[in-house]
Amino acid sequence: MKRPDMEQVVKDKFNQGSTRANTAYQMGRRRFTIDPITRLEGHGKIDIYLDEKGDVERAYLQVPELRGFEVFSLGRPAEDMPQITSRICGVCPTAHHMASTKCLDDLYQVEPTSPGRKIRELVYNTFMLEDHALHVFVLGGPDFIVGPEAPAAERNIIGVIGKVGLDAGKKVIATRKRLRELIAYFGGKVVHPVLGLPGGVSKPLKPEDLPEFKQLAKDGVEFAEWTLAVIKQIVLGNSNYVNMITSDAYTHKTCYMGMVDEDNKVNFYDGKLRVVDCTGKEIYKFAPQQYRDFVAEHVEPWSYMKFTYLKPRGWNGFTEGPDTSIYSVAPLARLNAADGMATPKAQAAYEEFYKTLGGKPVHHTLANHWARVIEMIQAAETMEKLLNDPEITSPEVRRIPTTVPREGVGVVEAPRGTLFHHYRTDERGCITMANMIVATANNAARIAMSVERAAKGLIKAGNVTEGLLNKVEMAFRAYDPCLGCATHSLPGHMPLLVKIYDRNRQLVQELRQD
Amino acid sequence: MNVDGAKILVLGLGNDILTDDAIGILVAREVRRRVAHLSDVDVRETMEMGLALLDFIVGYETLILVDAIQTGHAAPGHIHEITQQQLKSLPDRTPLGLAMPSRLKILAVEVADPFTFGTQMTAALQQALPIAVEKIVAEVNLA
Repeated sequence: MKRPDMEQVVKDKFNQGSTRANTAYQMGRRRFTIDPITRLEGHGKIDIYLDEKGDVERAYLQVPELRGFEVFSLGRPAEDMPQITSRICGVCPTAHHMASTKCLDDLYQVEPTSPGRKIRELVYNTFMLEDHALHVFVLGGPDFIVGPEAPAAERNIIGVIGKVGLDAGKKVIATRKRLRELIAYFGGKVVHPVLGLPGGVSKPLKPEDLPEFKQLAKDGVEFAEWTLAVIKQIVLGNSNYVNMITSDAYTHKTCYMGMVDEDNKVNFYDGKLRVVDCTGKEIYKFAPQQYRDFVAEHVEPWSYMKFTYLKPRGWNGFTEGPDTSIYSVAPLARLNAADGMATPKAQAAYEEFYKTLGGKPVHHTLANHWARVIEMIQAAETMEKLLNDPEITSPEVRRIPTTVPREGVGVVEAPRGTLFHHYRTDERGCITMANMIVATANNAARIAMSVERAAKGLIKAGNVTEGLLNKVEMAFRAYDPCLGCATHSLPGHMPLLVKIYDRNRQLVQELRQD
Repeated sequence: MNVDGAKILVLGLGNDILTDDAIGILVAREVRRRVAHLSDVDVRETMEMGLALLDFIVGYETLILVDAIQTGHAAPGHIHEITQQQLKSLPDRTPLGLAMPSRLKILAVEVADPFTFGTQMTAALQQALPIAVEKIVAEVNLA
């Protein structure tokens, strides 16, 4: 079979895109812009439209997205995909690597051997623990540990260390490093892991290295429990924080999606996808291969982002309540969509979480930070369980595939939420179709609602309240969104550009945070 | 991590499958070839960011970073040179008692397209590549 002419495919895709954009522009039903300045500068852009009273009518968040993944993948051997997709972004390489590896299992119709699967789960849980710790202490934590009202200059890792103490800061840095070393043991580089193969993994765990990893897992559980204690003491001990978490400004009654095991307990690596409605009732439960029956993408003329929604319910707009088709993913969603945690210490923390916040489901976006720490405990306990399994040092880590590949779907729970990979190949195993739905796309609709809610609360009769940027930023940082544009910013802040338009769609104010 | 006694680290950042975002990586690869005879220089490349970079940096006296940037205020291919004196917002450079570099230089190359998957940089960036390499080689020789 002839390899598709890449040049021609690129041109066709580009022409399709510009035709769509021009059509939308000419229809002129709404202001449609892809602000070149914004994309150039790598800022997140928020457009706010006011009504005749000067109150907020709509607010839209736009972020640059990566383009051309499918075109780039066409014609490449499927077994290259775990390496290629892990290079998509420097934030969650292991999640892409694992989703892609599972997609290859499905494509080649091969089940990994039991030890091979356990090594994958070990590496994946280690990654979850490390990545969540990074968010708690470095990215999102400053809002809470240092305080939302603290000056921007203090809301960073140094401010966090100032609050939790130097020794605790050293503990965070050292634990993170050891966890990364475990990932590197199996996968080589953390960023270009070469761990996953269809049917298993490339490297077994040597029995002589087991004691060191067992110690790490034990320390990992302690570290996660200590993190929970820090959050409870600093955050939950402060009634101002609790009031903010539970305030209407950060609350949305949507559906939730998350992966669950056979007992409906949270699982990051494998299982079925379960969706609950805003009352916590299960509405769908499906195998990853059925995702196209349950998840669809909606396009708005004002944005180049795609908003996923629950397909059986149809697109009902950016609405909340019993009929909404909007769902969210990530830690809070996973807890809401499951009946509990898979490990005992995490389960105890889960029960306390719902007891404190008034029962299931919890709709407070900022509770994601707390849910993330509960997931850290499960990840660490799972590491410990796997390392105490006698099979973990078995050399039987791979089963060789023998079937002709056609189509596969692989799904994992990335730290930021459900991640779908879907490939089709020709009979030689070269890619003819590649699709991904990343966690942030699953959350896009709810993030848009959060940004709008924050804007509505802070702009009245044309007056913009001080602190708009920080409050808006907090609204979406809780989702831990993975944004291409945040890649090259100095840590601590996402560069933001807010444009406010009056009822005649004239720009009246511009705010920026670099 | 510095384990071989090298004092200078050249660290290339970016993503080699995102068109112009590859610039830092490609510059580092070329610099590695050019400084191979110097025992006190290490050249590394990574797609990681944020705190993960700490693992690379600790233990060196001099750090030379090369990365892609989009300010929108310069033509693609322009090389922004940033010294530590210009980085006012840098917190204490030795947090947690780690041995952080005392000398820092950043080369940031203005890019046109870091958002499209592809392995070929745009023309302006291809032209900037050898210039950035020369600047870093000169910087290494100064250190």
